Amino acid sequence: MQLLVNALIAGSLAALIAGGLAVVYGVLGVFNLALGQLALIGGYTTWWLYQVLHLPLGLSIILGLACGALVTWVTFEIAVRPFFKHHRFLPLVTTIAWSMILDGLILLVFEERPRSILPGLKHIYEFSGIRISLEQGLLILATLVILLSFAYVFHRTSLGRRIRAVVQHEHAALSLGVPAGLLHGFLFVLSGVFAAAGGIFIGIDQSLTPTLAFPLTIKAYAAIIAGGKGNLWGAILFAYVIALLEQLLVGVHWFGAFYVPAGYQQTVALLFIIVILLIKPAGFFGNSSRTA
Amino acid sequence: MKRLLACTSFLAVALTACQPANSDVIKIGFIGPLTGDAAAYGVDTLNGVQLKVEEINASGGIDGKKIQLVPEDSKCNGSDAATATQKLTGVDHVVAIVGGSCSSETLAAAPIVEATKTPLMSPLSSSPDLTEAGEYVFRDYPSDALKTKAMAAYFKAEGFTNVAVITENTDFAQGFRQSLAKDFGTFVFDEVVEPGTKDFRSLVTRLKSAEFDVFVANGQSPATISAMVVQLREQGLTQLAITHDAGQAEETITIGGDGVENLQAINVPSLGEETAFGKNLVEKHGKPRGAIAFAGHAYDAVGVLAQAIDEVGTDGAAIQKYLNDLTSYKGVVGDFSFDDNGDVVGINYKLIEVQDGKWVELRDAPVQ
Repeated sequence: MQLLVNALIAGSLAALIAGGLAVVYGVLGVFNLALGQLALIGGYTTWWLYQVLHLPLGLSIILGLACGALVTWVTFEIAVRPFFKHHRFLPLVTTIAWSMILDGLILLVFEERPRSILPGLKHIYEFSGIRISLEQGLLILATLVILLSFAYVFHRTSLGRRIRAVVQHEHAALSLGVPAGLLHGFLFVLSGVFAAAGGIFIGIDQSLTPTLAFPLTIKAYAAIIAGGKGNLWGAILFAYVIALLEQLLVGVHWFGAFYVPAGYQQTVALLFIIVILLIKPAGFFGNSSRTA
Repeated sequence: MKRLLACTSFLAVALTACQPANSDVIKIGFIGPLTGDAAAYGVDTLNGVQLKVEEINASGGIDGKKIQLVPEDSKCNGSDAATATQKLTGVDHVVAIVGGSCSSETLAAAPIVEATKTPLMSPLSSSPDLTEAGEYVFRDYPSDALKTKAMAAYFKAEGFTNVAVITENTDFAQGFRQSLAKDFGTFVFDEVVEPGTKDFRSLVTRLKSAEFDVFVANGQSPATISAMVVQLREQGLTQLAITHDAGQAEETITIGGDGVENLQAINVPSLGEETAFGKNLVEKHGKPRGAIAFAGHAYDAVGVLAQAIDEVGTDGAAIQKYLNDLTSYKGVVGDFSFDDNGDVVGINYKLIEVQDGKWVELRDAPVQ
């Protein structure tokens, strides 16, 4: 059971980032490889506001998210918008370049040392042998609330209908008066806010380091590829599945005989994705056309 | 092919000829992790190196020649260290190198300095593998082979029989793990994780059902070591946790907070801020990122190299012989010399503990 909770903690973080990534791929058809850096910027800004300027934690988080949104918008204007209509692989290159620039900026502004938004022990609660900190519980809840409210907007409101219209056929949507360009920017920024929330999550639960960005991006990609490219719910589900696999893999006494060495934790999770792709090349929930 | 070879060799000759015969400075290279999780080591050692270089230059240099420092970021990994060392020996033609900090760096630099006969003095690498790394590889920091003997002796004295270890998969931490296994015996819990892992929850969950007396946080950097210990405490495990020089840093406390209270470490003596060297360092470069001792060993690394250059000149082979024959160098970390393998002789260990958010020296940790 403790393993399940551990998986929820790690999975929530991955789900936030993968969810944002899937939305962007679903609507714009581009991969944003600077997402890990955007997560770090959100986390680091919150750390700076809370630990250096001593603002209240809630305000720091909101401003951290806002800063994440701002930088994501700049990313969109500089590295994605001028390119993605020409070829959908162009932003792959431009966002890699942009991610390196952001890496440099993070080093310059926040220095290379590890930072923790809430250092030290958290408030631990124990329920029938399962130990979870108050902060972790709140983070899991917050992730669920964010994802569910997004689902509500996406499937139950007129804004969501417009987004889905742009996904299905951009030109048809434009001719019906749906501002596709504006929605592109909005969704891209939204994905950055999700990522920034993920970064703040790491900063609260563990610690932030500038080298963390790339592994974060890779994990999120694994989830969206396994879940079916562009399928939001598939990506989120698989973010949790991968986290659970990683936990079960090293945490369970397999067949009562042996433990898998912890060094193989990530390898086996990625192997699992290869197996899924061998069986269903479009991803588990994928189909041939793009959906969001 | 032959023509290509001729062309490139011509080019090489031309390039060498282009090297300015700049003989009024003595170039000393530096490699160490200036960015990344392990940056505390690189920044502190570089500060120590700079402090000594400034002092030597202020007092007129070596034989009237100023020392010029060429620092490179080797990011705590072998490939960046190899690139940096290639550049220092091939392009800058440094007389000697101080570094690296992480053992991965020094191990990668070793074959290059051997080939170019450039003496290298590591101020911080402690992997036992470095003992055999080559004639030109020295260190003024003791090998883990001794540190694990001190730790094993401590465990035996305390009556600890069940030891749990989590190791980060780097040259340094793996070297420490194998060396401790040799000196102590088998561990009841022995897991190796990928470098940079910060989520140890599944392993700690397993530790809850294991019986152990002491937990060894065998990571490579303060960030991972504090993550291990904090997550251990979060799961309500109260056994003694112990680490080594990689964890005995200020950052472990800034990140771990009350979660690392009573964490112990076996390490070389720390130089306090009240020592003359500590005061001087803090005044010039501010509080250390990791520990004053990191800077102290780097300071002495430059000092002993400068003394060698002063005595025998800038020839690599001559410096190497001088260091091997040296009977004692009076440094800020103590009086030391080198054995035939280039390992330091004369530095002892201490048992250190976090008390009220500060590292406090408890007592000597004898090797036997």
